[in-house]
Amino acid sequence: MSVALRDIGVTLAGRVVLDGISARLEEPRVGIVGRNGSGKTTLARVIAGLIAPDAGQARIGGADMAADRRAALASVGIIFQNPDHQIIFPTVLEEIAFGLTQQGQRPHQAEAAARAMLDRFGKAHWAPAATHSLSQGQKQLLCLMAVLAMRPRVIVMDEPFSGLDIPTRLQLMRYLDGIAAQVVMVTHDPAQLRGFDRILWLEGGRLVADGPPDAVLPRFETQMRDWGGLDDLAHLAG
Amino acid sequence: MISLTSPVETWAHRIPAGVKLLALSALTVALFLTDRPGVLALALLAILALYLSAGLAFAGQGLRHLRMLWPFLLLIALWHGLTGQAQAGAAIALRLLAALALANFVTMTTRLTDMIAVLTWLLAPLRRLGLPTRTIELAIAMVLRFTPMLVENGQRLALSWRARSRKRPGWRIVVPMAALALDDADHVAEALRARGGILNDIPDGRD
Amino acid sequence: MERNMTRIALFAALIAALGLIPSLTLAFGVPITAQSMGVMLAGAILGAKRGALAVLLFMALVALGLPLLAGGRGGLGAFVAPTSGFFIGWPVAAFVTGLIVERWRSGPLALTVTLASVIGGIVVMYAFGIVGMSIALKKTLAECAALVTAFIPGDIIKAVLTGLITQALARSRPASILSRP
Repeated sequence: MSVALRDIGVTLAGRVVLDGISARLEEPRVGIVGRNGSGKTTLARVIAGLIAPDAGQARIGGADMAADRRAALASVGIIFQNPDHQIIFPTVLEEIAFGLTQQGQRPHQAEAAARAMLDRFGKAHWAPAATHSLSQGQKQLLCLMAVLAMRPRVIVMDEPFSGLDIPTRLQLMRYLDGIAAQVVMVTHDPAQLRGFDRILWLEGGRLVADGPPDAVLPRFETQMRDWGGLDDLAHLAG
Repeated sequence: MISLTSPVETWAHRIPAGVKLLALSALTVALFLTDRPGVLALALLAILALYLSAGLAFAGQGLRHLRMLWPFLLLIALWHGLTGQAQAGAAIALRLLAALALANFVTMTTRLTDMIAVLTWLLAPLRRLGLPTRTIELAIAMVLRFTPMLVENGQRLALSWRARSRKRPGWRIVVPMAALALDDADHVAEALRARGGILNDIPDGRD
Repeated sequence: MERNMTRIALFAALIAALGLIPSLTLAFGVPITAQSMGVMLAGAILGAKRGALAVLLFMALVALGLPLLAGGRGGLGAFVAPTSGFFIGWPVAAFVTGLIVERWRSGPLALTVTLASVIGGIVVMYAFGIVGMSIALKKTLAECAALVTAFIPGDIIKAVLTGLITQALARSRPASILSRP
């Protein structure tokens, strides 16, 4: 299983957001770094098939994720930055079971599988809980369980830990370590990419570096600190 | 979201929701077909017995749900007292109380899941006509999920308003609330698409 | 498809939230439930069809037994009270409001929406409300109309606010006014 990006270009509202991105991602843990507005969130959406690129193609296991939504359901899951944008249902059990019925399971099967997933994380007692009453970290874990239950081969995560306190973040990262699926994580924080196998660095919608973390992350951090000395908050986008 | 179903478990909770709704419809029509105060008083007494059979706490809760009627009861008392048509006034007041109390009784003794099951059953013929009934069930779940979130948004916006103003936000809060709701709708649409979107050829709600 | 559906659901939730948020006491000390303003907004922003669907969805949840009407009311009783005519008229009110905003494109948005809300959210809604009251209270239509006139000024304020809110939204998010694509 691999994510194949070929010459991806995306233009949103007349602005070029991604331009000529090509990469073949086969490593189990891939990080995508870049500043706010570098296009990394858009790239995450392209990989998950939520946006069809204006140019090029994004394929997972040979299938075009934007065109073949059924193949996408079996191959790729995405976790958004804000769990409130992801949770659709009023109770935990419904939220996890939904993706499974979407994959064609009968409701009772889906419910059993959802309970099994909760059990695996030692959260069986969460089943009837109101999703609204969960803490931010708990909501993010629920999103992770809901995606894992669908057994995707690739999980795309878009800044999944921002806004969480350090213990919660560490706990979630530990859960992540135990996952067999390929993880593609988008972040602006190099500290979250410890133990990753490959890093893509995006700037202005273009790939500026691509390689093992030791080669990419130190350069990235130096550059971020240099830019931190400037005042470019003054520029308005578009 | 807490429904109006009474936490006091009564015998009436065990009657199938469909039966209760059918009986409610028939009895409500019957209440509007008669103008005789005697018959209506008997009906109200029977409903009172129904409430009391479920216990005092339950009956007290039921009484509180009838509070909204008092301005109308006052109005009828004044109107019919002045025009001297006490009998007609009594019939109207008794009917108002009986109809509302009966409807509330069904709501208080029927769980949300049972109600949704009846709705699903009612929608089943529409599914055969090709209407996306699953979409309706999905939409209901979404409203339950997002109402508390929007209330919270509203409170948060009111706080951030008050942090910078001495006046209450009042209606102005509705602008950012509606804007946030529309933004959230787009995010959720994306989350739904990420999990396959609205598919109409998957198994329906019941096995 | 997904986008239309989530917008309909979110507006149904918005109508519910407007009923749950306390302290929306407006001008003249008249406690105005913002909920009927939510109905006008649904029509004005989502358009006739989607606006009416959002209101119907909200009504279905009330019927199922959720206390979503202002003051924590709800359940089947919402359909048999003396004021139920107003409630039953909601989807039609949203539809008519939306239809007028969709069709009448020449005037300024705030004014159009205000007038549409007056016709849909007041004329149409009161027509339903007065008929419902006359059935429940056994009074003539004229007598019932006289009883509810006291509430008309408050509803006119809501119609004006709906116009202002819709205009403010059109400025900050032009794409969000689905009645004016």
